[in-house]
Amino acid sequence: MHDVVNQLINTTFGWGWPGWLISLISYLLIATLLFLIAPFQMLFLTYFERRAIARMQDRVGPNRVGPEGIFQPMADGVKMFTKEDIVPDSADKWIHLIAPCIVVAPTMFMFAVVPWGPGMVPVDLNIGLLFFFAISSVSAIGLMMAGWASNNKFALIGAMRAVAQMVSYEIPAVLSLLAIVLITGSLSIVDLINYQGGLFISTMDVASVPDFGLGWFIFTPVGFLAFIAFFIAALAEGERTPFDIPEADSEIVAGYMTEYSGMKFGLFYLAQYVLNFLLCAMTAIIFFGGWQGPGVGWLYSLAITPANPEGGWIFNVLSGALGVFYFLAKTYIFFFVMVWVRGAYARLRIDQLMDFGWKFLIPLTLVNIFGATIWVGLTRWGAAEGLAFVEGWSPIMRWAIAFVVTLALNLGTYLYLARIYAESQSERARMDDEVLERLTNVA
Amino acid sequence: MIKTEELQINIGPQHPSTHGVFRMLVTVDGETITDLKPVFGYLHRNHEQIAEVNTYLQNMPYTDRLDYFNSMANNHAYAIAVEKLAGIEVPERAEYIRVLMVELTRVLNHAGALGFLINDMGAWQTQLAFGMREREKILDLFESASGARLMCNYFRFGGVVRDLPDDFMPRLKDLLVAMPAFIDELERLLRENEILLQRSEGIGILPRDLAIAYSVTGPVLRASGVAYDVRKAEPYSVYDRFDFDVPVGSVGDVYDRILVRIEEMRQSKRIIEQIIEQLPDAQGGHINPKARQNVRPPVGDVYARVESPKGELGFYLVSDGSTKPYRYKVRAPSFINLTPLGDMCRGYKVADVVVILGSIDIVMGEVDR
Repeated sequence: MHDVVNQLINTTFGWGWPGWLISLISYLLIATLLFLIAPFQMLFLTYFERRAIARMQDRVGPNRVGPEGIFQPMADGVKMFTKEDIVPDSADKWIHLIAPCIVVAPTMFMFAVVPWGPGMVPVDLNIGLLFFFAISSVSAIGLMMAGWASNNKFALIGAMRAVAQMVSYEIPAVLSLLAIVLITGSLSIVDLINYQGGLFISTMDVASVPDFGLGWFIFTPVGFLAFIAFFIAALAEGERTPFDIPEADSEIVAGYMTEYSGMKFGLFYLAQYVLNFLLCAMTAIIFFGGWQGPGVGWLYSLAITPANPEGGWIFNVLSGALGVFYFLAKTYIFFFVMVWVRGAYARLRIDQLMDFGWKFLIPLTLVNIFGATIWVGLTRWGAAEGLAFVEGWSPIMRWAIAFVVTLALNLGTYLYLARIYAESQSERARMDDEVLERLTNVA
Repeated sequence: MIKTEELQINIGPQHPSTHGVFRMLVTVDGETITDLKPVFGYLHRNHEQIAEVNTYLQNMPYTDRLDYFNSMANNHAYAIAVEKLAGIEVPERAEYIRVLMVELTRVLNHAGALGFLINDMGAWQTQLAFGMREREKILDLFESASGARLMCNYFRFGGVVRDLPDDFMPRLKDLLVAMPAFIDELERLLRENEILLQRSEGIGILPRDLAIAYSVTGPVLRASGVAYDVRKAEPYSVYDRFDFDVPVGSVGDVYDRILVRIEEMRQSKRIIEQIIEQLPDAQGGHINPKARQNVRPPVGDVYARVESPKGELGFYLVSDGSTKPYRYKVRAPSFINLTPLGDMCRGYKVADVVVILGSIDIVMGEVDR
C-alpha cells in the first residue's frame, strides 16, 4: 500500500510529500478498510450460514429482505441497534459494559497480520503467527468478565466452559502450527505464504519445481496432520458445533451471553463470526497457501514492488484481485465446512471435549512436531548438521524420502492413538461401576 | 483439594429444552449433577375438573389436548373407557380404522421424539427437520380423514366420526413405501455417528428394578429390559389379530431408548401393513348405528388403558348414571415416566440432563393436565 500511495502521490502527481506522511496516509487507509471489512464479512457470513443450513434442512432460509434475502443481515443489524439494552439489577454494570468490547477488540487486532494478496498485508510482523494467537486468547478474559458480571448462573457456567475450552484448545492449535513453523523457519505469515509456491512440492524444498503457487503444506504429511488438528481446534476456538459447548442453547440457554441484549449481544455475535472468519482465513493461509494460486506469482512479478520499481500498476491491481479471490474462495470453503458440520452433528459434552483435546489432539500434534524435524533434517540439512549421508541425494529424492518417512510416522501415530482413544472411550461408555452401584442401591 | 461450592440452578420453567413449562431444580458441583428435583404444575389447567362438568362426548376434544402430539391415541383410550362403561359395541371396521390411526400416531410420535432428542444433544435442527418431514406426511393423512392435523377429535363411542376418504388408502400405501427408507436413514444417523453414540451410550441408565418400582411404562420401560406392552399384556381393540414384536433394550440408557423407538416404528409399519390386508374384509361400518352419541352409562366405574406411544395411558371413569362423569382421572404416561428423572440424572453432567429428559419423551400438556 505504501508503495502504491508513494507512486501515486510522488511520481504521478509529483507533489513530493515526505515519507512519513505517505506512511500515515497508507496506514489510515488500511485501518479504515479493515474496520469496514470486518463487520461486512460478519453480515455476509450470517446470511451465508442461514441460507446454507436452510438448504440442508429442506427449507429456503431468509429470502424476504432484498433479492434472495441478501439484506436480511442489515435488517437484523438495525433490529440489534434499536433493541433495549437491559442490564440486570444485580450485575456489575461497568464490567458488564466493558466485556463485549474486550471480546470484540482482539478480533479486530487480528486483521492486522492477515495477508489478503501478494504485498497486501497491513503489517508484516516477523512474529505474525504468535501475534495472531496471543491476541486471540485475550478474548477469553472478556468472556469470563461477561459471565461473572452478569450474575447469572447459566452465564457463569458458560463462561467457565468457554475459558476452559479456549485454553485447552489453544495448545493443540499452536502445537500444530509449531510443526509448520519448524519447516518454514519463520513466524512471519508472509514468509509462510511465500514458502507455498510450487506445484505439489514447495519451491523452497526443491528449487527446480515450477512455481504455479500450488506447493501448499496440505500436500505434505506433516501439513496434512497439522491441518486436521488445527481445524478441529479452530472449531473449538471459534465455539462452533460440535464444540459450541460454552453457549449450548439446549443446556445453558446462551452461556455467557444470556444476560446481554441489544447491541452488546450484537458485539458478541460480531466477535464470534469475525473470529470464525479469521480462523478459516488462517487455515487457508497456513495450509492452503492463502492467496497463492496459479497466476498470482507471475502477475506480481510484473507489478510495482520494492524489488521491481519499474513495474506497471495494473499488475498490482490484477495480482491483488486474483490473490484476494483465491484467498476468499479458500476461506469461504472452510466456513462452509463449519456450517456443514453445524448442520450435521450434535454437540460433545464438556468432559468428552477435554478428553479429546488432551488425550488425542495434543499427543498427535506433538508427534507431528517430531515429524516436522525429520522433514527439515531430510530436506535441508547436510554435513554441517551431522547428516553427511544425505549430501549425495538429489533434492527431489530427499523430498520423496522425507514424504514417505513422515507419512509412515503420522499414519502410524494416528492409527495407534485412535485405537487407544477409542478404547478409553468405550470403557467409559457403558458407564462407571460407581454409578451402576449407586443406582442398584436405590432400587 | 480446592474447596468448591455447590450451585443450585433452575433449569426451567422458561428454558429452551424443557419441552414446555417444566422446571428442574438442579444442584451441581462444577458440571456434575448431585441432585435434581423435577417440579411440575406450571401447565395445570384443571383438566379433570372440567371433564366432570362436561358430558361424555364433550370430553373427547379435551383429550386431544392432553398429549397434543398423539391426539388419536388419547381419543382411543377415552373411547375405550366410555365404551366399557356404557357397554357399547364397536364394529370391526371401526376397530381397524382406530388401530390404523393409533399406529400412524406412534410412528409420527417417535419420529418427532427422536428429532427433538438429537436437537437436545445440540444438533442444529437438521435431524428434527427430517423427522418433522415424515410427520407432516402422516398429518396430511390425518387431515384428510378427520379434518384436523393435530387435534383430530376423530373417535366416537362406537366407532369413528366418519369413514376413510376414497384417496386415503392409496396415499397410505405410498407413505408405507417411503417409510422404511426414512426409518433406515434415521437409524444410520443415530448408529453411525460417533458424537451421538458418545452422548447417548451409558447415559441416564434406568435399571430394570428401579424402572418397575417407579411404574415407568412405554419405550422407557422396554429399554430397561422389561418386555411389557399393553398391546400384548392385555390386548384391546383388535390387537390380538396382528403379528408384531415388542422390542426390548438391555442396559436402559438413552441409546437403548433410541433403538427401541426405532424398532417400534418398524413394528408399527408391520401392523399397518396387516391392517391394509384385513381392512377390506372387516364387518360393519365405521360407526355403530345403535350407539347413541349422548351416552348415559349405568352407575359404576371403569379403568381402561392403551399403549400410547409414550407409555400406558389409562382413563379411570366413575359414573353416577347421569350424562356426565362423576369422576374422571387420567393416568398419564409422561407424568409417571418423569418421576425417576432425579435418579436417572444424578452423577451425570449438566449437558446430560436435557438429553435424558429428551429421551423420556414427555409432553407437558399430559404431565400437568
